[in-house]
Amino acid sequence: MITAERKPLEELIEYVRPFKRILLLGCNECVTVCAAGGRKEVGLLASGLHMALLKSGSTIEIREHTLERQCDPEYVEELVPMIDGVDAIMSMACGCGVQELARRFKGKPVFPAVNTKFMGASERQGVWAERCQGCGDCLLGKTGGICPIARCAKQLMNGPCGGSTGGHCEIGDDVDCAWALIWERLKELGQEERFVEIMPAKDWRPGGGSGPRKIIREDLAE
Amino acid sequence: MSFQKRLQSNEFVVLAEMHTPKGVNISRLVTDARRIKGRVDAVVVPDMDNGIMRMSAMAGGVLMQQQGVETIMHVYCRDRNRMAIQGDILAAHVLGIQNLIVVHSEDMSQGDHSDAKPVYDLDEIGLIKAIGQLQKGKDLAGFDLDGEPSFITGCSIAPYADDAALAAELSVAREKVAAGARFIITPPVFDLQHFTSFLAKVKELGVPVIPTVFLLKSLAIAQYIANSEPGAHISDELIRRIRKSPDREQEGILIAGETIAALKAMTQGVLIQTLGWEHKLPAILDIAGL
Repeated sequence: MITAERKPLEELIEYVRPFKRILLLGCNECVTVCAAGGRKEVGLLASGLHMALLKSGSTIEIREHTLERQCDPEYVEELVPMIDGVDAIMSMACGCGVQELARRFKGKPVFPAVNTKFMGASERQGVWAERCQGCGDCLLGKTGGICPIARCAKQLMNGPCGGSTGGHCEIGDDVDCAWALIWERLKELGQEERFVEIMPAKDWRPGGGSGPRKIIREDLAE
Repeated sequence: MSFQKRLQSNEFVVLAEMHTPKGVNISRLVTDARRIKGRVDAVVVPDMDNGIMRMSAMAGGVLMQQQGVETIMHVYCRDRNRMAIQGDILAAHVLGIQNLIVVHSEDMSQGDHSDAKPVYDLDEIGLIKAIGQLQKGKDLAGFDLDGEPSFITGCSIAPYADDAALAAELSVAREKVAAGARFIITPPVFDLQHFTSFLAKVKELGVPVIPTVFLLKSLAIAQYIANSEPGAHISDELIRRIRKSPDREQEGILIAGETIAALKAMTQGVLIQTLGWEHKLPAILDIAGL
């Protein structure tokens, strides 16, 4: 999923302070799963904004709504009847959702309520960790299902480096060394020979090295 | 007189561009530098220009200095992060390079290492500011330097296709000047009448303007630029002149020399680009009366 964390309330207050009526918009997809911008978080943030603004002597009308998916024009269209009645939109979706709103509602200010972080997985309740950087040329088949691009601090193609100690990365004991994980996993799979294979310098073009990326499926594109 | 002093005293500056080799054979670069020593005020050394991997500009600049030719070194953002850029800028000062131009980087996809990872840790305006900060004795993290470098830093305006693109270029150039750029290199001049109106707009930036004079090495190159870059303003008349010439190479040299001579009355200097024909620089300078 795409993970996100809510921005500090102080920053959000400054965004909405000039407005009388805003639409606070959640997303029912990734940000709901990582508890950053779903229906529940929309309610919590609306209360937080109300209280903070009241304390400073101002008020705001906050209309709450949560879309099934904010990054999809089909679902965003559902907002059309609501837009005229608000001065601005605050989105609790990832950056994709925020930009889709800005594209669709050109005359309406749109503000992000979350910081989009990474593509990750849930490690345990309340903990999400980075797993993928969308490099566009997946290596997982060669690295035992563990990504050195997303999980090695140096994005080494041929690790580990000298900073790997006891399975931990030199940047912190709470960070696993991706290459130690890769070695352990390849051993389990009986594929140790893969570890000594020298991988060539990575081609970064599929990963966005040549600018913003797009997928066009000729069989689906209208 | 140094490039910087000539600019400050409103003297016309003559610059020539010289590329470093793709390899370690520096004999041509050194020979070309010797040929124009004393005839140009400084040599501009691009760094991985057009995204082509070459020997770094700093080494080229040092070679120029060793030949007694002042250097203006390109600095740019595509290939180095703020650590590497600052380190190189300090090194450049220590090695005697006093002049920098912050330039636009060709996109990685257009170069010869299109699979490389682009950096762009800083942008051009951020880089100009970083150079200014180093000159004040602080690095980008705010730490004190043990001895600060000193440079005059310029910037460039990229070729533009139409008035809207020019307006955008000028707007960015204004920000670069505000950030600390002290001179500006402008695109090649092929049409003096068009250049006159362009110059009036660029002069509003309040820094010395140094237009580029590009050697048209062949009719094919002239036609290619005329067709692919409408903003270059290569006229049909100019194309005809080259086509009809019994010696097209010499005609290109004549055109470049005459353009420089004409610009001498209009601008603060010229940058002569010969793209591999640096051995023709003396002939161009002869025609220009320099």
